[in-house]
This record gives sequence, structure tokens and C-alpha cells, in this order.
Amino acid sequence: MNTQLNFITRRYSKQGLWSLFLLCAFPLHLWTLILTFRDMSWVIERTNLWDAIGVISYGMVFALAESIILFVMIALLGLLTPKQWDTDRRVAFLSLLVILTGIWGILRQARYVWEWSLPLPLLQFLAQSDHPFRFLYVMYLAVVVPTVLLPVYLFLRSKKSTQWMKELMERLSTLTVFYLVFDMIGLVIVIVRNLS
Amino acid sequence: MKRELNRRDFLKMAGLLPFGLAAPRLLRGLHVGPVLQAKSQNVIVVVFDAFSALDISAYGYERKTTPNIDRLSKRAIVYHNHYAGGNFTTSGTASLLTGVLPWTHRALAPNSEVAEPFATRNMFSALQNHYRIAYTHNGWAYTLLRQFRNEIDELIAREKLLLGSLDTPIQELFKDDEDIASVSWSRNMKVDEDGYAYSLFLSHLYEDLQKRKVAKYETLFPRGLPTTGSDNGFLIEQAVDYIESRLTAIPQPFAGYFHFLPPHYPYRTSQEFFNAFDHDGLKWIEKPRDVFAGRESKNLLRKRTEYDEFVLYCDREFGRLYDFLESSGLLENSWLVLTSDHGEMFERGISGHSTDALYQPVIRIPLMIFEPGRETGINIHDVTSAVDVLPTLAHLSGEKIPAWTEGVILPPFSSTIQIPDRNIYLARAVKNDPNAALSMASTMLVRENYKLHYYFGYPEVSSDGLVRLYDVKSDPEEMTDLVQSKPDIAAELLNELKAKLQEVNAPYL
Repeated sequence: MNTQLNFITRRYSKQGLWSLFLLCAFPLHLWTLILTFRDMSWVIERTNLWDAIGVISYGMVFALAESIILFVMIALLGLLTPKQWDTDRRVAFLSLLVILTGIWGILRQARYVWEWSLPLPLLQFLAQSDHPFRFLYVMYLAVVVPTVLLPVYLFLRSKKSTQWMKELMERLSTLTVFYLVFDMIGLVIVIVRNLS
Repeated sequence: MKRELNRRDFLKMAGLLPFGLAAPRLLRGLHVGPVLQAKSQNVIVVVFDAFSALDISAYGYERKTTPNIDRLSKRAIVYHNHYAGGNFTTSGTASLLTGVLPWTHRALAPNSEVAEPFATRNMFSALQNHYRIAYTHNGWAYTLLRQFRNEIDELIAREKLLLGSLDTPIQELFKDDEDIASVSWSRNMKVDEDGYAYSLFLSHLYEDLQKRKVAKYETLFPRGLPTTGSDNGFLIEQAVDYIESRLTAIPQPFAGYFHFLPPHYPYRTSQEFFNAFDHDGLKWIEKPRDVFAGRESKNLLRKRTEYDEFVLYCDREFGRLYDFLESSGLLENSWLVLTSDHGEMFERGISGHSTDALYQPVIRIPLMIFEPGRETGINIHDVTSAVDVLPTLAHLSGEKIPAWTEGVILPPFSSTIQIPDRNIYLARAVKNDPNAALSMASTMLVRENYKLHYYFGYPEVSSDGLVRLYDVKSDPEEMTDLVQSKPDIAAELLNELKAKLQEVNAPYL
């Protein structure tokens, strides 16, 4: 156990791990909060305010659990990065991956929330083509792959990238700490609901 | 109307007891009406949730939705004007189980419990000399059963008859707040329902695992596996099979309460009935959009068709349960009751039963009583209420009729003459504080042919409230509001309803 811990602490600083955790929690909490507040009126309509608060509280607790799972997975993934990277660069790189994945995760679901649709000419083109799904997948890949690979490439090439990411992380971390306060309040509410 | 067993009634019953002991077999041969029963008979109450009488062919629906119930109703006592106590699970089920109306049991809000005194005043305490067993798929009905658990010998865990799912650990972990935890879990994980979920990543993994788990049922249920809405799937067959196995194993006399979720939404029938009514030319009556019409008002005919196809599935399973009870011999010594907690509606811009409106489809429910050994049916057209079931079952099974019940012994079992102009009430007050007088509610009074709706306290209606009057005998679709053309009747019924409200509100003022 100690050997494993030593292995991890050689790759990460405590501050780095905390920052990485906050980065993992950020997109998950942001999305949960957007949707829970969107659902609130729907829940109140069917039950009452206390139950609506309950739905949000469980949502925050589940988001916290998902953040921990994502953090563990990302931290383990970080063990595959080059050994010669310093801990700051490793954390910055992993944070970049989390942010990119989070953005695409949100966009993937947001199109259903706000009912986004592809432009009409594109839909007409797909409808007229012999292989609409094949075209669609190629199109998605053509958009998604560069938006992931290009930032990663720029990060690897630029010496200032670690500093930029660090600054971004600091800003987002402050916000995420507020989310964690919501998590704690949510946890207390969940406990109260299950005790009463 | 409160009915208590007075000394005179008791003496009448006592006098009838020897006759009651000997008469059933004699009278069965003569095919005459039922009699006061001897003790030690079983009671089986089967509830199909959100089962509207208006969608049952045995009650005259033009679609043949219930071929088995139609067949069996020829041997049953069929109540043609039976009303639920409320228009959704909690209030409706609580009225059925306690024998009192929502303004008395106070289970007004969704998933709430009844007022403390009714934790020990219910169908299970009334049938205390029976072995009492209960099951429900419905989480809100289960909340009530759990409240009554000290009066129940065997409360079958809800999860036991749900197909094992990834949701079970959540339900077990948060079992004291299961409903809201499940709603939130569902919103977190079930990305397929809307295309989005609170969880960004795990939701996709969850959906993939869940799909693999129920993949073997996909071909059996083209619209998806029946689910309890916010959590996991189930098969009625599995529940019926389990109940059959328990009924043959438990001591007699027993009293079983079995509350199946179908045909409640989501309407997911089995392959056998899929598209059974597709484009069958059902006559669709256009009705004006109601003041309480919701957002989910599109494709009402499509939804009703899917609901009716789900009813076919319920009908098949009820037929199977009935056939088992008959072949096992249990029916010879058991009173079997088929009913519901509330109805379902697909009209006036309202779909389902999450509505403040009290039109017939959402409150008129089936009630059939299968008497041991009865071969010929009886049709009862008196107006009856869900609160009448408890005193009737206590009476039929030889138990003492509880003094607290607001119901009466149903015809033809009552030894006293029914009051022809009896008032039947119903109330819905989901946003009302259960410990306060009713200030925002939907209420109803039915007397003979007339039905009065009275809505008050809602932002959608004026400060005087909204009153509607229908002659439900000549106008069962409630198309012509008679408030203007029959003001005297409307005023008389409204005054009675207001007087009743004053009476039930008095303890809270």
C-alpha cells in the first residue's frame, strides 16, 4: 500500500491532486446545477418545495460521487504520462483533457435540452445521400477530433501552456469550491430526509 | 356520510348469523342475492393502478379491452357508478384502505402518509382475524403499506417483484426517502428518456449496462419493459406467479391486498397486444380544452390507444389469476375484489391523472366483487365510493365493521335499505397543508344523476371558485355544463358541498 502511495505521490503533489479533483468536479456540477434548477418547477408542480430541494440535493450528492470516480480515473490515466514531466505539467495536461471532455459531454446533451438541430441544408444533403449516418459520423469526427487534438498539440508544443492552464484552474477552482459547499449542504439535506 | 354500527344494526346482524352460516350454499343453488357470510372467508383485493372504468369493455367501452374481465363479470357483482376517493395514487389508495375520504385521512400530497390515527385504522386492522398479506409495485402505495406494516403480517418488499436493476442499491440505501431519491437518480442516470441527464459521463455507461440487462425482454415489449416510472422494470406475470404461490402457502383465512402498477404510465404493453387497436376507427369525441389542461396535451388519441393496449395486458393477467384461484379451489372460500385507486384521462388537453380536474375518466373506476360460488352476475347502478369497500369486506368476511369508516355496506349486501339520494364526495388537495383547512382543492359531489365539480383556491379559477354541473346519466361525456340551465340544482348541491367542507375543515380552523 505504501509503495503504491509513494508511486502516486512521486507523480502528483497534494495541491496538484486537489486542483485536479476540483477540475473534474467543475463540469459535472455545472451541468447538474443547470438541469436541477431547470427541473425545479416540474418537481414542485408534482410535489412540493421540500421534495424539489431533495431532488437537487440528491443530484449534488450524485455529482460529488461522479466527480470522485472521474478524478480517480483521470489520476490513474495520468500515470501513463511521461515520467519526466513535472507534477504541474501533468496536472495541467490532465485538466485540459477533463475540460475538453466536459465541453463535449455538455454539448452532446445540450442539443437535446435546448432542441438544437443541424442546419436545414445539411439535413437535406444528408437525406439525399446514400449513406446519411456514415456522413454524419464522419462529420462529427471532423469537428470533434481537431477540437481535441489541436489544444493537446498546442499544449505539448507551448512552454507557457502549463502556466495558462494553472491560471485557468485557479479561477475554476474558486467556483468549484462553492459547488462543494452546495454538495455538503445537499448531503446534510439527504441525511435529514432519510432520518425524518 | 358517516355510518356507524349501532346497537340496532348489531342485533339485526346477530339475528341473521345462524341464517348466514347456513344460507350461502342453499342460496347459491337458487341463484339469488348474497347473504351475510360466515366467518373465516378469505379476502383478495386486486388493484390495477390508474384503471379507468371508461376504458373497460365490461363497462361499455367500444374497444374490446378486457375480454377476460368481460367473461368473468358475468359471474360478478358489477358496480357501474363507482368513484375513487381521490384522483391519484396516494389519496385514492388511502381512501380505499382506510374507508375514509382524503379530507379525513389527510394523505393529500403525493407520496404522503395518512394522519397518525389511521396508521392503525385501515383495511388490515379491520381484517385483524385474517392473515394479512400485501404487495404493490407502486412506490406511493408502498409508502402507505409501510405505514400500515404493524397491521400486516406479510408485507412483500416492493423490490422483490421488480426485475433486478442497477437502481436497487439506490432504493435500498435511501429506503426512507425512496421516491425522491429515485426521481433524482432517474434524472441523473436515465439519459435515454430525454436525451440528457444530470450526469455527464456515468449516465451513458449506466444506460448501456441497463440495456444489456433487459435485452432479453426487448422483443417481448416493443415499447420497452414496463417500469415503475423512475426506476426499474417488472413483469405482471412474475408478480401474479409469486402471489399465487404465497396464497397457497399462507394460513387461511387470509386477506390479501395486491396493487399492480399497470395500466399506469408508461403504457408498455407486451408483444401480444402491441398495435392491437392501431387505426381501429375509435370514435373520438372532441372536447374543449380545460382550464387545467397541461403541457402534455398532444397525441391524446395515440396515448389512449397505447393505454388501452396496456389494459389488454392487465386483463390477461387478471384472467390468469382468476383461473388459478378457481382451479386451486381458493375461490370457493374467497371474496375477490377487482378495483382501482383512480382513473386516467385523455381529453380536454389533459393526459394521465396529474391534473386538478375531476372528469369521469380520472375518477370513475371499476369495482367488481366475486362472491364464492356465484355463477350469475348482478349489476349495481347505485352510486358508490371507494370508501365503501372496507366496511363491505369487513361485513362479508365476518369481521366487526369499524366505527371510523365513512363508507357504507355496498348493495346488495347491506341489510338496510340504501339511501337513494346518497351524496358521494371526492377531494384532491395536493398543495394543501395536511394540517390545515382546505384552501386550494378540487372537490366533487355526486347525487343520483348529477355531478357537481367545485374547484377553489387555484390561480386558474376566480376567487369564487369554479363550479360545473353535469347530468352524468344523460351526458356521461360531461359535454353540457348545467350550471346556467339548472341553477337551483347547482346551488343546492354547491351548498351541500360547502357545508360538508365546513364540517371537515372545522377541526383545522
